[in-house]
Amino acid sequence: MSKLKEYLKTLPRRLGKTAAVVGAAVVLFAVFLLCQGVNPLSVYANMIASTLGTSYGIGQVLIKSTPFILIAVGTCVSAKAGLVNVGGEGQFAMGALFSVTAALFIGDSMPSFFGIVLMMLAGMIGGAFWSGLAGVFKVKANMNETLTTLIMNYIAYQIVSYFVFNQLKDPDSFNWPQTSEISESLQLPRIWGKVTIGIVIALLAAVLIWLMISKSKWGYSLRVIGGNANAALHAGINVQKVQMIAMLISGALAGFAGAIEISGVEERLRQTTGVNYGYLGFLAAWMAWNNPATAIFTAVVIGFLSVAGNVLEISSALPSSAIQILMALVLLAILWKGKEKKSA
Amino acid sequence: MIIESLLTGAVQSGTSVLLTVCGETVTERVGVINLGTEGCMAVGALSAYIVCANTGSPWFAVPVACIMGGLMALIHAYFVISRKANQLATGLTLMFLGLGLTAFFGRNYVSVSVTGFTRVKIPLLSDIPIIGDAIFNQDPITYLSYLICPLLCILIYKTRFGLILRGAGEDENVVFAYGHDPIKMRYIGVIMGGMLSALGGAQLSIAYTHTWIEGMTGSRGVIGVALVCIAAWNPAKAFIGAYIFGAAQALQMMLQQQGLEISSFLLMMIPYVLVLIALFITSIRRRQTMPAELKKVFESVT
Amino acid sequence: MRTTKIKKVIAALLASAAALTTGCSSSTKSGSVGVGFIFVGTKDDYGYNQAAYEASVAVEEHFGDQIRVFRSENIPETSEATRVLEQMIQQGATILFPTSYGHLDPALDAAKDNPDCVFFHQGGLKTSENLGTYFGTIWESFYLAGISAGAATESNKLGFITSFAIPQVMLNINAFTLGAKSVNPDVTTTVIFTGDWSDPALQTDAVNSLADGGIDVIATHQDSTKTIVELCESKGIYVCGCHADASELAPTKWLTAPIWNWSELFIDMTQTALDGKFKGSIYDGKYRGGLKEGVVDIAPYGSAVSEDVRAQIDAVKQQMIDGTFFAFEGEIKDRDGNVRIEAGVRPTVDELETCDWFVEGVIGSTD
Repeated sequence: MSKLKEYLKTLPRRLGKTAAVVGAAVVLFAVFLLCQGVNPLSVYANMIASTLGTSYGIGQVLIKSTPFILIAVGTCVSAKAGLVNVGGEGQFAMGALFSVTAALFIGDSMPSFFGIVLMMLAGMIGGAFWSGLAGVFKVKANMNETLTTLIMNYIAYQIVSYFVFNQLKDPDSFNWPQTSEISESLQLPRIWGKVTIGIVIALLAAVLIWLMISKSKWGYSLRVIGGNANAALHAGINVQKVQMIAMLISGALAGFAGAIEISGVEERLRQTTGVNYGYLGFLAAWMAWNNPATAIFTAVVIGFLSVAGNVLEISSALPSSAIQILMALVLLAILWKGKEKKSA
Repeated sequence: MIIESLLTGAVQSGTSVLLTVCGETVTERVGVINLGTEGCMAVGALSAYIVCANTGSPWFAVPVACIMGGLMALIHAYFVISRKANQLATGLTLMFLGLGLTAFFGRNYVSVSVTGFTRVKIPLLSDIPIIGDAIFNQDPITYLSYLICPLLCILIYKTRFGLILRGAGEDENVVFAYGHDPIKMRYIGVIMGGMLSALGGAQLSIAYTHTWIEGMTGSRGVIGVALVCIAAWNPAKAFIGAYIFGAAQALQMMLQQQGLEISSFLLMMIPYVLVLIALFITSIRRRQTMPAELKKVFESVT
Repeated sequence: MRTTKIKKVIAALLASAAALTTGCSSSTKSGSVGVGFIFVGTKDDYGYNQAAYEASVAVEEHFGDQIRVFRSENIPETSEATRVLEQMIQQGATILFPTSYGHLDPALDAAKDNPDCVFFHQGGLKTSENLGTYFGTIWESFYLAGISAGAATESNKLGFITSFAIPQVMLNINAFTLGAKSVNPDVTTTVIFTGDWSDPALQTDAVNSLADGGIDVIATHQDSTKTIVELCESKGIYVCGCHADASELAPTKWLTAPIWNWSELFIDMTQTALDGKFKGSIYDGKYRGGLKEGVVDIAPYGSAVSEDVRAQIDAVKQQMIDGTFFAFEGEIKDRDGNVRIEAGVRPTVDELETCDWFVEGVIGSTD
């Protein structure tokens, strides 16, 4: 508890520091805008007004951040076990694929609640299956998980493409490669505008994982392994088992994100559903030094930048690459402060 | 015929990946991982293209591309070495930055044509059956890559400089013993890596495709980072993964051209599945070759 | 003391931000109508998106101060498209052009929630109260390009490089092959899918591989076709481009290319919506323009197309414009011998644009 207190006590100072460097990045980008003949003040004002100034905009940021939060928290779990899971992308895709398949199979056959729960489970199984494969490669064949998870992202993309072009192709979409829309009863209930309970679930999951890592016995062994695998072996911890479980949880969370995206936002699966979400979630986690609580913050920052970025493009008439540049500058600014603590 | 075209494809589409693997190997040898090689590659590809389009000289474009890629890597080096920012996150951000900047400043070059490098046939050697045409009828950057790999090996394993460089990634005391600064060595390693990746990007834009379009690096930089593992952090083995990847891309086209009616999505998996198999084969021998400092990167999670 | 200072600064900042915001929102309500365009790729792709982008520029120039144009590129075909359309509407857009086929369902979602806006979707087969679709019968141009390819080939082997087996692509491959076969019944078309709309390295691999297979004419349905056209010239392969006239890149091997002329159509659609006459207009539904309407055409012939062939193609083109010839008029069988279009029947837009089969002579996977 004292740790939490300390965390909260130092929070304003640390946030202030971050705000200062982010401000520098924003000014730098303003110069860039000026060079392009765009008035940075009106663009920034428009970005903030239409993103944080309207309930629609805030809702969109929450919707956009939801998968980032879940994937980031998943990345944290594996990272604590000393594993670098860059496979959020593929695990998300497999989760989406499994959950949409389940949803199309379930249809209207059962009450909404059970249907949604089943769909979410399917998504988690899909994600865990994909990360579990990488886990097996790791513990059985000593294959570097950074590489396997990364490569499997590309394979997952082709698998999703294969299914949306074949077995799952919507018969009512004139042979366009996308799945049918899932039944209305399987769509996540909305709580505020277009925002579904997905964001609440994501936050709860993040808190749960944070508690699990920092308070449970399993979390302790996880942290020991992450600190030093050899020491963990000597302490009698079954390293492979713990790592395998961490990998499964990590993938399950990414798959869960995929299921929520299908059930709450997309309502059908397409080839490009969730492209780059995995990498952005991974980024959010590592920016937060794999602290699930901080990762929520970084995930929301990335979500905000994605949503506000479109306004930037619309109101400045610059190409969409300007969004990427702004996002990279702001993220670099946050990274600027480097690693300041060695506690946690 | 089939084997010949497969080999040609392996070398042609593998060279950009090969150079990236070499570059990332040097980077990781000094204990730094740079996921932003994709960004360095894109910067290299565009700057080479711009120079080529404006001066007409590909030979002038190559050093400029390397310098620009080196500058991108310098950002990474500064953040992760001096600011101690998280390496994986910084690298990924750098990737987005590189892709964004090149997309932005490359807009006016999409419809511009360049002559760039063309394939140069080496007499006699290119007449060797089967492998001759694949290896000795290539563009100058590819020939350069044949030299770079062995030279890097000599540099890393046979010279004092290499010893110190490796020291920066394995044991700082070695570096101090020789009276050098590990920080400086890491900067050198990261920048060299960025320069080589940028050279790979230049091969893609001014030697192989003679085209610039945003996102043309198409994850080859990311794949390059992954393949370092297969090469076991040894530049001499960098070609294995890179050429397997290149050959698989050529193979997938060849199978389609042969009229094989398998879903193209399954064919497009081939390169990635082969990389996994290659990793499997190299991993079961269980050699621990990852530089010690690099391990710390993955372990510094809290 | 210090805290009050900070508070003052914050208050001042907030006030100025508020002033800016209101200042900005008042400027956006300056009477002109907002017209929004979203593109799936980059507007400088030298292809499909650039064609639509250029028309959006034409719209902007034609209406001047009457409208304000919003553009957004690289918009994925997911709910992200819905959001960007809605963001444009919040910025004041009331006429929207989602210009990629996959933007259809996201646009329908946005149209449902914004009944006061008019949507013109490029290529869709679903419509709604305030969403009409438009497209060009680009397959007519592919048929004409096919004639030039069929006449040029010596090996009777044609190649076709594209990304995915979606209906629009398959329809174009069929049209191209039918065109080629109309002058040279022995030709085959080998299709290579690269899985990408504009990856120059994969395009190069594809051309190399087709060249190894003895193919001597390559056509394509990709966004950026520059790599393919230049490479074909250097390898001595005849080439049909796509979306853009790239004849200067292949001075000796260029045949022709199917191209778009969206500008007049876009201006007319915008005018219709500005006049409030969308309901009941030709655009309220599925509008298709072709050679006759000038929405699609073929690029100028290259020197590799002989005078005889030019005359032949021009004649077919005229028949298409007159309506006396329809490339997909039955009987047309797929490559397994099943009759897909009955004798004498001209298929509807829906039937054509859901194509998931290949005509005889096409070699390649259908998924």
